[in-house]
Amino acid sequence: MNIKKMTFVMLALLLFIMPVLLLLLQSVSSPWRFQSGESFHFQIESFQVLWSAANLLEATLWSIVVGAGVLILNMAVGIAAGKALSTLSFKGKPLLEALFLSPVLIPVLAVAMGLHLFMIQAGLADTALGVILIHLVPTIPYSIRIFHNSYAQLGKHMLEQPVVLGAGPLQQLFTVELPLMKPAIRSVTFLTIVISLSQYAITSIIGGGRIVTLPMIFFPFLDTANTSVMAAFAVWFAMIPLAMYIIVEAFILLLPYSRMPWRNTR
Amino acid sequence: MSHTLDVQHLSKQFNQDLILSDLAFQLKRGEILSIVGPSGSGKTTLLRILAGLESPSQGSIHMYGKEITFQKANRRDISLVFQQPLLFPHMTVQENITYGAKLAGKKNNHKISELLKSTGLDRFKSYFPSEISGGQQQRVALARAMATEPEIILFDEPFSSLDPKLRQQIRYWVRDFLVNQSITGVFVTHDTEEAMIMGDRLALFHEGKFQQIDQAEVIHKHPANSFVADFLGGHLVIDEQNYVPLKECSLDPINEQEARSYNGVLQHITYQNGQAVGHIFLEDLDHKISLPLEKPISGEEVTLYIKESSIRTFGGSSL
Amino acid sequence: MKLFNNKSVYLLIPALLFLTLPLYGFFSAIFQSLSGGDRWTFEYYLDLLESTRFLSSIWFSIRTTLIATIVSLIIGVLITRSFYPYLEHHVPRLLVWLPMLFPHFVWGYMIILLLSETGLAAQLLVEAGVLQNSSAFPIWTRDPQGIGIIVTYVWKEVPFVILMLLPVYGSIKPGYYDLVKTLGGSKFRQFTAIEWPAIFPVLIETALIVFSFTISAYEVPALMGTTFPEMISVLSYEWFYGSGWEDRPMSFAAMVSLSLLILAFSAAGFSILQKKRWRAMRGRSI
Repeated sequence: MNIKKMTFVMLALLLFIMPVLLLLLQSVSSPWRFQSGESFHFQIESFQVLWSAANLLEATLWSIVVGAGVLILNMAVGIAAGKALSTLSFKGKPLLEALFLSPVLIPVLAVAMGLHLFMIQAGLADTALGVILIHLVPTIPYSIRIFHNSYAQLGKHMLEQPVVLGAGPLQQLFTVELPLMKPAIRSVTFLTIVISLSQYAITSIIGGGRIVTLPMIFFPFLDTANTSVMAAFAVWFAMIPLAMYIIVEAFILLLPYSRMPWRNTR
Repeated sequence: MSHTLDVQHLSKQFNQDLILSDLAFQLKRGEILSIVGPSGSGKTTLLRILAGLESPSQGSIHMYGKEITFQKANRRDISLVFQQPLLFPHMTVQENITYGAKLAGKKNNHKISELLKSTGLDRFKSYFPSEISGGQQQRVALARAMATEPEIILFDEPFSSLDPKLRQQIRYWVRDFLVNQSITGVFVTHDTEEAMIMGDRLALFHEGKFQQIDQAEVIHKHPANSFVADFLGGHLVIDEQNYVPLKECSLDPINEQEARSYNGVLQHITYQNGQAVGHIFLEDLDHKISLPLEKPISGEEVTLYIKESSIRTFGGSSL
Repeated sequence: MKLFNNKSVYLLIPALLFLTLPLYGFFSAIFQSLSGGDRWTFEYYLDLLESTRFLSSIWFSIRTTLIATIVSLIIGVLITRSFYPYLEHHVPRLLVWLPMLFPHFVWGYMIILLLSETGLAAQLLVEAGVLQNSSAFPIWTRDPQGIGIIVTYVWKEVPFVILMLLPVYGSIKPGYYDLVKTLGGSKFRQFTAIEWPAIFPVLIETALIVFSFTISAYEVPALMGTTFPEMISVLSYEWFYGSGWEDRPMSFAAMVSLSLLILAFSAAGFSILQKKRWRAMRGRSI
């Protein structure tokens, strides 16, 4: 192993692995008070404390419902727009691409505040659907972009090949496009779920305290729980994108022409 | 009986450019037409319109008397083989070949295994495209197009990414296959030799039009215009109306009254099919020709002699 | 030119429908910031300009965000250009993107765990005898300088910067490096001649995304910040949910002002890109 590779490994360990390990270790040990002579004390009570909190499971469920809704809509809108942008050519296309990316530049807090009255009038305030809709704002621009890139990478001819062989639009999507865009599907899954999980302010504005997702209880927890329980909560946050990832991966396996990883055909 | 394919008044305009202008041709069942012309002349656009991937600005396409001009590509009984194999990388060779047939509900295991055998791909049927060679990939692409049993297969320079030797073999294999199955084919290429091998008839395509459509022999004997004569290369084009077959040109003085001569420079000599070929630049005509040399020549300055009686007029009118 | 002869146009409809959401929200925010009951008014904006709380907040936000953005970009570029051959591999790439698995505020909590006065770093330094006691550790979280906020964002955005830059570095052909080397170019010259033109547009785009996200996000400053000075998003949120409704127009005015600021930054970014492209085009025609 040369010096450069060593540097990289050290840097990656320090910057990206160590913090996560730290959270994991803290979640399975008592709060650290090394200066008062206490040693590392293993325990898993912090997870028990976390799970016994009255609203944790409910919040987890809401987070999953909202996240799944946001993910499904992101896939639908992102794939459709990505295909259109990569197959059409027209004069205003760069402008349209910029317009699709623009919600990333407008503060989502401003959008949520502006939509608040409308959501109340439309009966969407305090509902999961309202929260899902507002979570689309910071996610869909990325999804459109990822799928646009992915379609562009497949190339015009690869998209035409199934058409020439007689495939209809849905057959094209399921037999060729989706199986070849697995990396994009994975990226969109992760990004969307994590962004959706990160929203406290806009969830609170549109959900009105009625739709209690995980961030809504994370902040109040800070005042009451000890560091071990908070670390366990932090680890719990990472479980949701991982669980979603596994579900999406299972769906990917259901696509036509998928190889089951445990079965080799030759 | 109506033609397998009947194209009338086909035009395609893109922005201000006229890419196809008032094209017309007919194909009988089992006939193979080679379309040859310079790169970038719009041949690919023609195929894409026939396949249904683009729509024409004007004109009509009929198949067995039924109009298909505005039918979607996936509903047409026409297959298109692209320049690149474009195999689906997540499917095995066999799955690739079966793909179209399965969609059409024409899946026939016997037929597929016949195809695998005749392409010599039987052994590779459970391989993925990335595990086989470029030539094999192109054969899979051809087999995939054929497995859907289309009425017509369109080929867009399908061998251009293969090396010359492989190209030779695969040409004859495709030609034999089409003939045996009596599939109608349109074959686009910029290589004249390939066009003659593949096609029953040859269409010379230039500036959005067919300059001439006929059997290779007829075109060679009676080129319709200077472009055709020049592109095929068997003639010396004297002006827009007149030409001389190269085999009637001589580098030795001719003992005849009615003769003319042109001064030229021998630029270099190459050897093809066991024959020395001189590449001569004719200053007077500002034109380059390639002429088989009967005997060695010394020096660079040469003179080309032509009998007045061998000068012909374009349009096949002179005999 | 026929625009609608292709059915693919219909595929744009869901995305266009989606766009009405942020556009409606944004214009409604503008409307509510200008509405004085029965007439149009600029009074909330004038109030903002007189509010020391707002002015110090917007200055603090810009300063903190700019530092976080620039530092993230520099570290991101350094890591990508030094290690991108390794980052092409699966496992190292997953390692680098591990922080992206966590929401920003969870990462902020990790920083507290690590860098607060009773955090791990302080405890270890005391153990090692470097510090007398943990109160000697500098205040880096919930500090008036915004250090905790900056550290959180930098740590969290570096993987994002790498994510954006990686495809660009992957597409630079090794032949170009050889070309510059054979022409006698230095390491620095290799960077300015080959990498900079390729990464510049992506850097501008990434900078805009990171900047506009960081300056307008609520969660991290709510966790890591102090009450004075506070980030503009925290202030607006407080005004929005304040004791009564009377502060809401101020909240809208503050958010609209922030949007205009981001828009100005974006316009500047795009005009730099346009200018660059224009120069490149002119250079080609000479």
